[in-house]
Amino acid sequence: MAELNFTKLNPESHLLLDQPLLRLPVELSRKNFKLTAVHVEHDKKHLLGALKATANDSFSGQKDPSETLGSLDNMINRMKNLKRKMEGFHEEEKTTHRQTRQRLEHLHNLYQIPSLADVKYDEWSRIRLNRLIADYLLRNGYSESARALAKEKGIEDLVDLDVFVQCHRVEESLRRGSMQECLAWCSEHRELTRKTSNTLEFELRLQQFIELRRKGHLMEAQQHARKFISSNVEHKNPEVQRAAGLLANSPETRVEPYRTMYSKSRWDFLANLFLKTHHELFSLPTRPLLHFALSAGLSALKTPSCHSKYASSSSNASSTTTTVCPICSTELNELARNLRHVQHNKSSVEHDPIVLPNGRVYGRDRLLEMSAKFGLEEGRVKDPTTSEVFDISQVRKVFIS
Amino acid sequence: MEALLAEHERLSKSGTLQKSFDDVQKTIDLLVKARERIAADPALASLELAKLQNPVKSSFDDVHKDLEEVRKHQTKYAKLLDKKFKDKSLPQMDYEALTSQPALINRAIAMHLLREGRFSVASTFLTEATRNQSPDAMTDDLTMSGTEHDLGIDSLKSESLRKQFANMYHILHEMKTERNLVPAIEWAREKAFELDRRGSNLEFELGKLQFVWLFVGNHPSKGRPNLVEGRERALAYVRHQLSRFQPRYSRELQQLGGAIAFCPNLQQSPYRRMFANDDAWDDIATSFTREFCSLLGLSADSPLYIAATAGAIALPHFSKLEVIMKDKRTEWTTEHEIPVEVPLPPSYRFHSIFVCPVSKEQTTDRNPPMMMPCGHVVAKESLEKLSKHSRFKCPYCPSESHPRDAMKIFL
Repeated sequence: MAELNFTKLNPESHLLLDQPLLRLPVELSRKNFKLTAVHVEHDKKHLLGALKATANDSFSGQKDPSETLGSLDNMINRMKNLKRKMEGFHEEEKTTHRQTRQRLEHLHNLYQIPSLADVKYDEWSRIRLNRLIADYLLRNGYSESARALAKEKGIEDLVDLDVFVQCHRVEESLRRGSMQECLAWCSEHRELTRKTSNTLEFELRLQQFIELRRKGHLMEAQQHARKFISSNVEHKNPEVQRAAGLLANSPETRVEPYRTMYSKSRWDFLANLFLKTHHELFSLPTRPLLHFALSAGLSALKTPSCHSKYASSSSNASSTTTTVCPICSTELNELARNLRHVQHNKSSVEHDPIVLPNGRVYGRDRLLEMSAKFGLEEGRVKDPTTSEVFDISQVRKVFIS
Repeated sequence: MEALLAEHERLSKSGTLQKSFDDVQKTIDLLVKARERIAADPALASLELAKLQNPVKSSFDDVHKDLEEVRKHQTKYAKLLDKKFKDKSLPQMDYEALTSQPALINRAIAMHLLREGRFSVASTFLTEATRNQSPDAMTDDLTMSGTEHDLGIDSLKSESLRKQFANMYHILHEMKTERNLVPAIEWAREKAFELDRRGSNLEFELGKLQFVWLFVGNHPSKGRPNLVEGRERALAYVRHQLSRFQPRYSRELQQLGGAIAFCPNLQQSPYRRMFANDDAWDDIATSFTREFCSLLGLSADSPLYIAATAGAIALPHFSKLEVIMKDKRTEWTTEHEIPVEVPLPPSYRFHSIFVCPVSKEQTTDRNPPMMMPCGHVVAKESLEKLSKHSRFKCPYCPSESHPRDAMKIFL
């Protein structure tokens, strides 16, 4: 019965790592919808206005029929333009819906799996791992690898390639010291970010101001400040004051905070601010999902034996009767070194433990079976870890509670 | 989940931009028709334009209505999703240990891809990952990688590991789909010394399976099975290839000989299990994979897979702990231990664990388990406290002993 508890699968609580899978498409739909609405509203205003003006002009005889036809053509073109844009949004919407469907079905599959020991869970979990790896690769800008992985595993609809590729492009451009892409991103998403007081755009404008000041274009810097910075004085007063102070401090200054404002590290600050804004907007966790999974997994698997200087009798690479523990395996051993391990309140050892004269403890059956396999004469046992051979009379029972 | 699926079904049926898109088309039609009429009879321009105002306006109203419908559906679905994931946030743990080691994570991923046989993805990744690696990260990576297995990400690039795994997959492929054991047998013979030291009888098991395969009439050159010829080939195989296993596996070899006597009536013989065992192929593939990986110092299943899966199982427990900690306003108190138990399925438990029955602490290198002459075990620190360096009574039985008679044991 106790074993059943260990393999119980509770899908509800198991889905912690899978939320962004469904949340991101919601945000994408929302964005898609808002942009559509903005375009419609904009073109509606324009069209109704134009239509009214044309009617008036025609009525009052100010415009001849060919001019009337001309303005009608303009209106038609504008509407066709709107239609084209909406066609794009509609296509994107279809993609999002298809992906959501795939994702819901993938998660739904988990609900059909009876236990963690089921083969189907293994398959499901492998898909999840590939997803987590793809997420990690994308966040680190290894988009070609992510694309290749998603393609090979057929999980393209479970991976948000485009979102992350765009995000990484903007991030990289900021780290290189270029703002154009990020400003374009801000204007594309202005409708959506307004409620989360737009610090990112302000900081970008401030950076533009700093760059103008660095080059010594004082006049342009002041104009720029009037246009983009001083309007924020209400909720960004200290920053605006600092910007004003910067005018009086040359790039060589050692005075804080101006020295920091001129420093190259501000680009990393901007890149990180962009990432934060971006991830918040799309309901994405701030760090790769793989970090969450690994951190929890390594802690759960790690035991004091994994970084011990003595080979563990119950799991080591030197004998064929044990499998190598994943934490002891070269891939993860260093990574797990500085993590804490979870608590154990009960000893767990092999069935019917016995101890050899060298202090090594094994399950009796495993030891005897192994010794027989080695072709030892009866009454002799071989330590599978150290290869020492002992007489069976030297083997003692050990009591472990 | 069903509710979400149903709501999404509704959303993708009636909550789409399709309708508003159609209504925009209608507006265009209105404009185009009016233009045609005006072009045909310019005198009607004013009238047509006046007549156009209201329909255009109302067609825009339709678009708005359509959009409102979309918004309603979207909100409904989003709300359901919120409800589903309410109170389910990812716990904040010590991620610093991971974020500070990107090179190690990259290496773990690269090795995972290699051992899964994803060679093209792995090579794409190795190219991308080393392209923008700073020189610092490279040297770090090299110095930390052990002397025994130099597995820095650069050494992965050097193809040696890739070749190893390519070889492994080649052997497995031959074994599983072609039923060809020859590459595996050759590998095992090459590694005979290492395998023997591990106590592995893989080489013999492979030979035995090869014998069975030949015996039932199969043919190395894939001809039609022929029982008589097969028997001869199998006998020849035993004589030439398996005889050198004689001293150690004499019993098994006798069994093989005994089976020959029963032919062709094997199905009724006591040896039928040896011959009609399809699982044998899967078993041998599994143990081959395990031996192959172990000789490289690696576990048989991908550690990244096991760790990520264990992580998903453990995460809810950490979340729960976080909630409790917040409620009680306590902080992490232990340096090496997270104060929560995580029940993992048996296949995720690898090492034996000893928790001292006296101190209730897990034993470590510094505080190892000690066995008293009576066979009971406590942690070293507990032993010192109990004994105060003189004779003492075991906390579990009446026997008395001196602490210097206790023996350090290795679990």
